[in-house]
Amino acid sequence: MQGRGRYLASKIGWAVVTLFVVITFNFFLFRILPGDPSRSLIRDPRVNPEARDALVRRFGLDKPVFLNLEGGNPFDSQYFAYLSALSRGDLGQSFAKRDQSVAQLLGQSLGNTLLLILPAQVLAILVGIALGLLAAWRRGTSIDVSALMFSLFMWSLPTFFLAILLLFAGSQWFDLPTAGRVTIGASYASWWDGVYDLGKHLLLPTISFTLVLLGEYMLIMRSSVIDVLSEDYILTAKAKGLTTWRIIRDHAVKNAMLPMVTLIALNLGFTVSGAIQVESVFSYPGLGYRTVEAVGNRDFPVLQGAFLLLAVCVVIANLAAELVYGWIDPRVTEG
Amino acid sequence: MTALVEVQAPATTPTYVPRGALHSLVRKPMGAIGIAMLLVALAVAVLAPFIAPFDPYKSVNVTIFDIYQAPSAMHLLGTDDRGKDVLSALIHGSRVSLIVGFSAASIALLIGGVVGIVAGYRGGWVGAGLMRFTDFFLVIPDLALQIVIIAIAGPSLLNIILVIGALGWTTTARLVRSQTLSVRERKFVMRARAIGAGDLHILRRHILPQVLPLMLANMVLVISLAILEESTLAFLGLGDPTLISWGQMLNFAFERSAVSAGAWWALIPPGLAIVWVVLGTTLLGTALEDVLNPRLKRHHLERERVGPQRLLPGSRVRDRAATPAGTRDPLPVSIPRQGSNVPLLSVRDLAVEFDSPTGPLRAVDGVSFDLRRGETMGLVGESGSGKTTTVLAMLRLLPPGGRVVGGQVLFDGEDLLALPPAELRAVRWSRLSIVFQGAMNALNPVRTVGDQVAEAIRTHQPGIGRRAAAARAGELLERVGIPGRRARDYPHTYSGGMRQRAMIALALACDPDVIIADEPTTALDVMIQAQILELLARLSNELGMATIMVTHDLGVVGQRCDRVVVMYGGIVAEEAEAYRLYAHPQHPYTQALLASFPDLSHPDRKLVGIAGVPPRLDNMPPGCPFAPRCPHVFDRCLVERPPAFPLSHERRASCFLVEPGHEQPVAPPPGIAPAVSEPADA
Repeated sequence: MQGRGRYLASKIGWAVVTLFVVITFNFFLFRILPGDPSRSLIRDPRVNPEARDALVRRFGLDKPVFLNLEGGNPFDSQYFAYLSALSRGDLGQSFAKRDQSVAQLLGQSLGNTLLLILPAQVLAILVGIALGLLAAWRRGTSIDVSALMFSLFMWSLPTFFLAILLLFAGSQWFDLPTAGRVTIGASYASWWDGVYDLGKHLLLPTISFTLVLLGEYMLIMRSSVIDVLSEDYILTAKAKGLTTWRIIRDHAVKNAMLPMVTLIALNLGFTVSGAIQVESVFSYPGLGYRTVEAVGNRDFPVLQGAFLLLAVCVVIANLAAELVYGWIDPRVTEG
Repeated sequence: MTALVEVQAPATTPTYVPRGALHSLVRKPMGAIGIAMLLVALAVAVLAPFIAPFDPYKSVNVTIFDIYQAPSAMHLLGTDDRGKDVLSALIHGSRVSLIVGFSAASIALLIGGVVGIVAGYRGGWVGAGLMRFTDFFLVIPDLALQIVIIAIAGPSLLNIILVIGALGWTTTARLVRSQTLSVRERKFVMRARAIGAGDLHILRRHILPQVLPLMLANMVLVISLAILEESTLAFLGLGDPTLISWGQMLNFAFERSAVSAGAWWALIPPGLAIVWVVLGTTLLGTALEDVLNPRLKRHHLERERVGPQRLLPGSRVRDRAATPAGTRDPLPVSIPRQGSNVPLLSVRDLAVEFDSPTGPLRAVDGVSFDLRRGETMGLVGESGSGKTTTVLAMLRLLPPGGRVVGGQVLFDGEDLLALPPAELRAVRWSRLSIVFQGAMNALNPVRTVGDQVAEAIRTHQPGIGRRAAAARAGELLERVGIPGRRARDYPHTYSGGMRQRAMIALALACDPDVIIADEPTTALDVMIQAQILELLARLSNELGMATIMVTHDLGVVGQRCDRVVVMYGGIVAEEAEAYRLYAHPQHPYTQALLASFPDLSHPDRKLVGIAGVPPRLDNMPPGCPFAPRCPHVFDRCLVERPPAFPLSHERRASCFLVEPGHEQPVAPPPGIAPAVSEPADA
């Protein structure tokens, strides 16, 4: 298992490097762009002197940006102050919600986002795999053509528009809630009532999200299965006298999953983009909603924290996908 | 599989631009619809000021009663949250979508193209570094970064275009890099470099023409993505506030309670407009990709098709197929059935066709032969002669696009071509197994070798336990010279020779009556080839199996086979006992084949190649397939297909020269040493 160990180490190493680059990138993004938020804030005449001093101290704005080259400790700079705060889990204080730290606010939001994303992902992957398999097996038939058309249409449908359509239909005809995670101010008679209320709120966002991901996954699975089914080892399996069902189950699915895993990983950015849109339409208090809210409030610490958290999630999920790949494909980790 | 490659272009060649790409694009319904949808959008955008009933940029005084008015004769799509005409805004909104889509995609393509070409052409650490850089951008969530940058830098049209363009180049870079890599290794580029062409010259004259068409197809998809992203940003309130765009219309309507007001006309039209443009580009892009990079479209689990196909008028095979299969070779059996020695396997007048754009092509045309128990038969021919297609057709394993159009395959008295699927599956492998050529791909890479052998055993002996099957698989591997513990390893850890041995173990798994070895030694080095053949011969001898050895190697046939069937152009040219074939080849093709093959017992003999090339399936001569290359050709050969003429010593040849009553004696062509003596045992 030496090969497997080396594979793990190289993947984790690359993820750590990427994380570090993301963190650094996130710092400079908010310092070098025109309209630099921290500077524009301290120049804002509405901010009173004490608050301004507090901000200057907080961000170390009197210090050099990257390295202190004017003598003294070379690491006495804004960048290293940011790194050290980050290592303590300190993402700063929200401008808009004075009573909350960014870490606290975003911690809750991350939980909410995962509650929305994970079931939808699992559902979309399962249904996408099943439909993609069916379309590939019955390639060229009307099943395949309609599946293909459905995928192309879903791809062309902006996520937020799909969410609006579902919200419109759900609120007008099914009397479903249109915003938030739970009914505000509700008190529940039992534990079950609470879950029911949450489920009612999650239903439409989950459906939107599943539909958005579904078309993509189906398309990938379809072409992946077609590739696998044209391989020579499928002919061997057929010559061995296996039934079609067993060929698909034992020889096609696992092999077709390999490109699927890679593409799911590459599509994580797409998942984040979907979360931002679905959460905005349904005012669902997840990371995506917080991001858009922070833009509206010019709440830069929250924006910076949310972006960092989203990027970190993608890096971690990407790593997970690489590890799954190594687990199902013996060729990567051995020999 | 070979048979497929013989008919279609191999799928692994790098993309090239086929002639008439535009023509075939328009002929595809997807491409035509996509182009039409885009042209409509483009016309609307250009003519916006002339066709919009109102000017949406002009401010007007509105009262509360003008807001969210339902569609009427005056406002065909009603009014929006500010009492303005939705239709006019919709028409003007097309401009932002198309401008952002095209400009952002151009930026993305420029960056991606340069990064991809440099990374692919330079390779080394520059290439590796650029790809790492690209990988980094792949993990950054696009929309989140776009939101952050626009939020800080301000939502002007220029900023939006720059941000979408500067973040949308990664897929293009990866695509261009792999295309550049594959073009760089091709002969004409190597040649250009060898004669001292500079990098710039090679890039401009050789790389760019191969990369640009691919980028064009990619650009269409990048445009659709850019339009989607622009509308998303605008919907999230990050659109240019001075311009009307579809995403912004949706943003205003959604934020200002169009949903609770039930004002669907303010929501649905802008959404559908986005779908229209994106769907148009996506359809066009998908069709373009299909034209430029046609993928292998068929696979092994498609429904089996049997029986003749209705011929398209004017198709090339029509003249040949005019004589229905089965009438041309009325007495195909040349081997008399001696007593109990009834053949185990009888192929009768087998005919196979492949689909092609010009109509069906006949790859196997009336092939007949017999195989007796325990016998080793050679099936010899050049690639394209139809030998592999013949054996695949026998077990109904033809690659997609191929179909049996006539004949019988009698195995132990039953016609395999007529068996219902379940009974056919029971015969496959348990009685007739195949050692495929190129065991590299014939074993599933993600399952262990032992597991794949055990699977065959368990399929045909359902009662056997998992453990017993695994033990038996280990024994089989030992038998072919692979240590039993290697059963738990994956195929990629085996060497080429070991894989072929494993394939043989797999073929033996169910004690079959017949093993078909389809070019079992292709791509192995000479020593290993000899070992594998020795192993096959020993095992089939020990186990009393009949073997069909499919090969182009006459040496193999001479050493290992009792009888030889020589195929050429889809027909059986000659059949004879092996030593007689070598001593007295009757068909001019066999004579020429032997003359082109080194013979160690006559080392001083001159080798003579066969002039010309084997016939292509889409250009079969109407008469004898060998006529164009035959030194003895005469008028009749060009117009009439020679039937198989039975000769003495249980042999036959499809050549008019051996027809009883033909006056000309068979003269070997110059260069062949006349085979004067029969072999020692005769």
